[in-house]
Amino acid sequence: MAQNTKPPSILETIGEEIIRIVTPVSICMFLVVLLVAILNTDTSDSSSSITTMATIAYNEDPSDSLWDKIKGALLNSLVFVVIVTVTTFLLVLLFYFRCIKFLKFYMGFSAFIVLGFLGGEVALFLIEMYTFPIDCITFLVLLFNFTVVGGMSVLMSNLPILINQGYLVVIGMLVAYWFTLLPEWTTWVLLVAMALYDLAAVLLPGGPLRLLVELAIERDEDIPALVYEARPVTHDESALRQRRLWRLRRSVDSGSAENMNSESNSSSNANTVSNSMNCQNETRLVVAEEGQRRESVSELAVPLIPPPSQSTRDGQEVISSENLHLEGIGLGSSGAIKLGLGDFIFYSVLVGRAAMYDFMTVYACYLAIIAGLGITLMLLALYQKALPALPVSILLGVLFYFLTRMLLEAFVVQCSVNLIMF
Amino acid sequence: MERAESSVGEAERRHLGETAGLIMRSRNNPEPLWPTIDGPLGLSEEDSVSYARKFFKFGFLLLPLLWAVNCFYFWPVLRHSPSFPRIRRYVLGSAVGFVGFTVMLSSWALTFAIGGERLFGPVWERLVMYNVADRLGLSGWN
Repeated sequence: MAQNTKPPSILETIGEEIIRIVTPVSICMFLVVLLVAILNTDTSDSSSSITTMATIAYNEDPSDSLWDKIKGALLNSLVFVVIVTVTTFLLVLLFYFRCIKFLKFYMGFSAFIVLGFLGGEVALFLIEMYTFPIDCITFLVLLFNFTVVGGMSVLMSNLPILINQGYLVVIGMLVAYWFTLLPEWTTWVLLVAMALYDLAAVLLPGGPLRLLVELAIERDEDIPALVYEARPVTHDESALRQRRLWRLRRSVDSGSAENMNSESNSSSNANTVSNSMNCQNETRLVVAEEGQRRESVSELAVPLIPPPSQSTRDGQEVISSENLHLEGIGLGSSGAIKLGLGDFIFYSVLVGRAAMYDFMTVYACYLAIIAGLGITLMLLALYQKALPALPVSILLGVLFYFLTRMLLEAFVVQCSVNLIMF
Repeated sequence: MERAESSVGEAERRHLGETAGLIMRSRNNPEPLWPTIDGPLGLSEEDSVSYARKFFKFGFLLLPLLWAVNCFYFWPVLRHSPSFPRIRRYVLGSAVGFVGFTVMLSSWALTFAIGGERLFGPVWERLVMYNVADRLGLSGWN
């Protein structure tokens, strides 16, 4: 009977979970900054004339006055938020009428489109910039492969977790890069508007995302959307006090808890919980031997504190061309942290936009966003319900961007120029 | 009597083990051996067989990446070959297919890239991707 000599330290429990969600966010941001740095060197801050949903109302012109730009940006953001709200309500309606297959198919299709078209465009930009001598046949085969496997990984949940996570990060990166092509003022006002919308949609009683989460909890289902789920961290029985939900399948004797965990740790992925697998698929049987040290996979019931709410996550809908993403953070049915893809996208948009100015703003905004994410995770642990992940990070990020640009930069540049510091 | 019992025990354990989705390695070493790389978060054995088969068949639609995903996903099968006879066929087939396809594709791509115009003549200009993109206007945002 395996005994644990000491309870896991706080680094191992909470720290591991935080790292597992901060790492993909950081990777996504890093890739977007890389893309922006490579591909935007020629066009400094010129407004691209793309007409998208976000620039329907007003397309920014460099010669407009500041006040015109701000007004135009506000109008754009308003239109965008209205479109997003309508689409989220549509999603709630479809979910209410149980059109789950349609939603899943739509997710897969939109992932396919993003990976195929946006991914292809970005790849073409890179090829042209470096005049890489690839021929169109090879390019098409590679793109086709990439897109189809990506679409499959979103549609089915049966590809390796790593590949699923990787593709979600890539999709977030591509959409975020596309968003950075919007005019500048529109981007900033849009970010703030989306943060406020997120706050309203998740926390207000009539908000579409709150409705969605409540429906999902009540029906005990997963929300069909593009959501990044971090791998659950394994714990042993001293983690009963943790916010994990396992469902009781069979009566096992008290000693089996420790044994089960010590056994499950023998798998090659040392950081997985055998139970979490079973939460997904309830038809697993329990191999119960004579009640001694050989219990293998059984599920325990640990009520969440407060009483069992299975999968709490919030979502926020963001439409960009054809995609439906969910933003927001919550706990999945296996206790793993889920972060909606819209969060990835908007964090990366902020950092990408900061990269268009200078790298100093990138560092400041990155730190602000990660701090905001940490605060949101702590609040999640505190409140145990679905929370919007955008507001804190975005507001901190925007604040730090403007502060850096206006105050810090002058200071740092003067210090460097006069060879005092840096 | 003893042998019958033990054989029944074996069969029962194996049956239970398979339906529970894992295989006990041996009596002395009862560590569960998962067929997928995700370990306990992945698929059970009989699910794995159907998925391995589906991935293998779909890979023939010009999708070598799917074969690679198949090999990656069922990496424990390749490492502990004797334990998963049914899955092993498909995974090996996928591995062979992936390697073969990669060799073919990379040889073509390298010939194209290195040979360049000297080898192909004017056709090279027509096939290379950045020219095709220019001609079809693909690299402007729509």
